[in-house]
Amino acid sequence: MTLTRSQKRGILGACMLAAILIAIGVLATYFASRYQLRLIYSAYVNLIVVLGLQVFMGNSRLTNLSHSAFMGIGAYAAAICVTPIAMKQIALPDAPWGLNAFALDPVTSAVIALVITGAVACLVGIFIVRMTGTGATIATLAILVIVHSIFLYRTDIFKGNQAFFGIPQVFSLTSIVILAVVVVFVVRGFRESPWGVMLRASADDETGSAAMGVNVVRLRLIAWVLSGLILACAGIAYAYFLGTISARPFYFNHVFLTLAMLIFGGMRTVTGAVLGTFAISFGLEVIRWLETGPVIIGVNLPEVLGLSGVMLGLVIILTMALRPVGVMGDREIEELVLKKK
Amino acid sequence: MQSGMRSGAEVCLLELKGIYKSFGGVHAVRDVTLSIDHGEVRGLIGPNGAGKSTLVNLMSGLLTPTAGTITLDGEAVTRKSAHQRARKGIARTFQNLRIFPSLSVEQNIDVARYAGRGGALPEEAIDEFGLRDKLVQPANALSYGDQRRLEIVRGLALRPKVLMLDEPAAGMNEEETEALGRALTWVRQEADCALFVIDHDLKFIMTLCERITVLDMGAIIAEGTPEDVTQNPKVITAYLGEEAGLDA
Repeated sequence: MTLTRSQKRGILGACMLAAILIAIGVLATYFASRYQLRLIYSAYVNLIVVLGLQVFMGNSRLTNLSHSAFMGIGAYAAAICVTPIAMKQIALPDAPWGLNAFALDPVTSAVIALVITGAVACLVGIFIVRMTGTGATIATLAILVIVHSIFLYRTDIFKGNQAFFGIPQVFSLTSIVILAVVVVFVVRGFRESPWGVMLRASADDETGSAAMGVNVVRLRLIAWVLSGLILACAGIAYAYFLGTISARPFYFNHVFLTLAMLIFGGMRTVTGAVLGTFAISFGLEVIRWLETGPVIIGVNLPEVLGLSGVMLGLVIILTMALRPVGVMGDREIEELVLKKK
Repeated sequence: MQSGMRSGAEVCLLELKGIYKSFGGVHAVRDVTLSIDHGEVRGLIGPNGAGKSTLVNLMSGLLTPTAGTITLDGEAVTRKSAHQRARKGIARTFQNLRIFPSLSVEQNIDVARYAGRGGALPEEAIDEFGLRDKLVQPANALSYGDQRRLEIVRGLALRPKVLMLDEPAAGMNEEETEALGRALTWVRQEADCALFVIDHDLKFIMTLCERITVLDMGAIIAEGTPEDVTQNPKVITAYLGEEAGLDA
């Protein structure tokens, strides 16, 4: 099959983003402290979340607020499969269905986690993709609340707010960089694929696209499930690095943080997702440092707790007010470099 | 049924039987029975509010009729959705443009191509309608006339059995309208599809179409060759009467 012009450009753009991701990873390996490495690792996890979000939101232009729940489903499913039996006997003494009586290798566990998350996404998606606008947004918020409640109150399986520990720490910064690069290619590939182009056409003009043979419900479902699978990858990577998970990180704060990243960078492009993630991740670290009341050029700044939350909210409001399409708008990275013909 | 009929073709391409459509208590389309043959070029005229666009929406599946049946090549499509009908060969353009502004011109055409039957026609149509140099541009950067032409090329890229053009010359000047007429003559010869053209510009319709259907108040009041139609007293009262100095 021959590639279209935009698909060729897509490969170029994905290669450029991959180069940036690898460069940041290499620099971090050589120069970052242990603490900074953890921050950079979590930025990469968030990048995969934001890319997963972009696949659905950027192409269908429906808002999803349930993404952290799908990340959590992936993380918990993998954690339950992979944690050694001895650890699970301690962590989950009352687990039903013999969940604490088996353990699998990390790869099999990840595959099972992907299948489970994909199946849940498919079931939920059948309803979501038939809704429009506000209806879809509110429904996804409901999914987030339902999943969080289950994590929180089925303590025999998920341990709720307590730590689910003992997950083998098989992931390193190298693993997450490789995963992020693969996801960038998948997400950009989808955007320029026939499915992605048709889905974007339906977002531009649903009636017009239907008249051109576009089955919008089917395409939205495909994007939704792909999004769920990428979010599961992020969850698995999170669990496999930290070795400990709990319900809290897969709830509203994380939804809001990653949404701010996507909105700021620009949800319509993969480049926007990458830019937004790194810009907000870095910006937040600066703000967290300011929160503690540091001394700058001899001036002792006051302690401002909660500044990061305020700033995150402001970023969303200002982006929505001043540039609703985000920093990148409709432009991908290669379009900034290539001359306009 | 004599004109445009191919030898051996026994079923009509597109057939509407007893189509009604009401919105609330208002009958927008009343008992329309209409058939279009393979390769035919049919015009649809009628005064404002006659129900022309509603009829096209019913044919393309954006609306479902209150009563009546629609068949394409003998197959009932009355309950089929718009995207299914597009894939079966009913393409259309819109009076109020419905291009995809965030996609390039080429991608706009690709969307239809993905659902279509392939072949070289889309590429030829790009040249014929003068869009070759504009393929990489975002569709919303095109001039109004080019956007109209893009919609036609996009419709052709579906490789349809029938292409319905809803006021293709709207907003075009005389020169552009003439060029459009020439391009549509090319479509007639090369595209192997029937055309169903709706327009206000009577001269345009009269020169392009071999048969014309006249709609008024949601019902068909006349059908025939351009000469028949212009001489029909009902048509003159309903429609042509408004147009002083008509020379068709």
